Amino acid sequence: MLEDVLLLLDLKKEHDYENNMIIVLKKFGTTLVSRPSGKEAWLAFQPNLKNTSDSEEIVVDFTDVLVLTPSWADEFLTPLRSRFKDKVRLFNTDNSSVKATLEILDKNKF
Amino acid sequence: MVLLCTVSPNNMLSNDLISIREATKQLGVSIDTLRRWDAAGRLPSVRSGPRGHRFYRLTDINLFLRNESALAKQWAIASVGVTPPNDVYCPTRDVFQARLERLQHSLENIVPDSARYLLSAIAGEIGNNSFDHNLGNWPDITGIYFSYDLNNRNIVLADRGQGILKTLRHARPQLTNAGEALKVAFTETISGRTPEARGNGLKFVRKVIIENPFTLKFQTGDAKLFLKEHDNNITTLPAGEYVRGCIAIIGFEKRT
Repeated sequence: MLEDVLLLLDLKKEHDYENNMIIVLKKFGTTLVSRPSGKEAWLAFQPNLKNTSDSEEIVVDFTDVLVLTPSWADEFLTPLRSRFKDKVRLFNTDNSSVKATLEILDKNKF
Repeated sequence: MVLLCTVSPNNMLSNDLISIREATKQLGVSIDTLRRWDAAGRLPSVRSGPRGHRFYRLTDINLFLRNESALAKQWAIASVGVTPPNDVYCPTRDVFQARLERLQHSLENIVPDSARYLLSAIAGEIGNNSFDHNLGNWPDITGIYFSYDLNNRNIVLADRGQGILKTLRHARPQLTNAGEALKVAFTETISGRTPEARGNGLKFVRKVIIENPFTLKFQTGDAKLFLKEHDNNITTLPAGEYVRGCIAIIGFEKRT
């Protein structure tokens, strides 16, 4: 029963963003620390971005990501933001390591 | 077992043996207790000199105390590299990732979640930095030494890699010593793997340390630094012993 409710909520969420690309980062893991895994995530996600226009909004959802480092983010978020620039929107960035990582990236790159 | 040794003025022997009196100080027990432990095989001594006096290997004392940072440092400074014990050795990133996640779980209920995730992140960044900068170029032992002591609240990472000076010289050839390189690594966005988009790792570590109740002792080559909360200045100091690679000791407060 609870699972059905959660599924419905998820579907509603998808519907709200139906015109956007949504990247749910926890699908790559919840401890995102190394460069190779960030690079692999970026490469693995390329087919999903293939038919995305550069003007389309990209939503990056950090829900349930427990540990993020600049090394991982530099390999995934940096090229994503380079391509889609201000079309990239970040959601649920309350985790302490996510916040610290984004602050370092923003300070140095954007 | 009889070894020929020379005693130095500070009671340390040339091959890292210490006298029984020094061992009592380090362990906080009496000479009689040490003799009993020796007889029982709990902490074996090394007999040396014409009278067969008891001496102790520093490594045995540190193992007995589980002094993680001292053990890691001994491993990092040894002139000949040896593979560390399995429980602290991460020969590959995959092993490191698995043990980092174990640390993350172990810190639960010891520190608040926000500190737990940040400690995992900075340990992850330092450990992966070692792999990033030494891939294919490890001088002797491949991989890193990674251990932690939750009672003494520290996390230790060490490598026997090329060190920060050699790595950063790829990007900045004018660097002349380890102290300069250490300062640059913690303050500037620069990478030994230029032109790749890199170089944030140790700046991130510094930011997290000075914004939280954490400390960091970091040494590479013959230079070291110490960082703590609210400590905005970076001062590198000469280190007594030479570490070719890097050693980092992260300290943290327990949950209050």
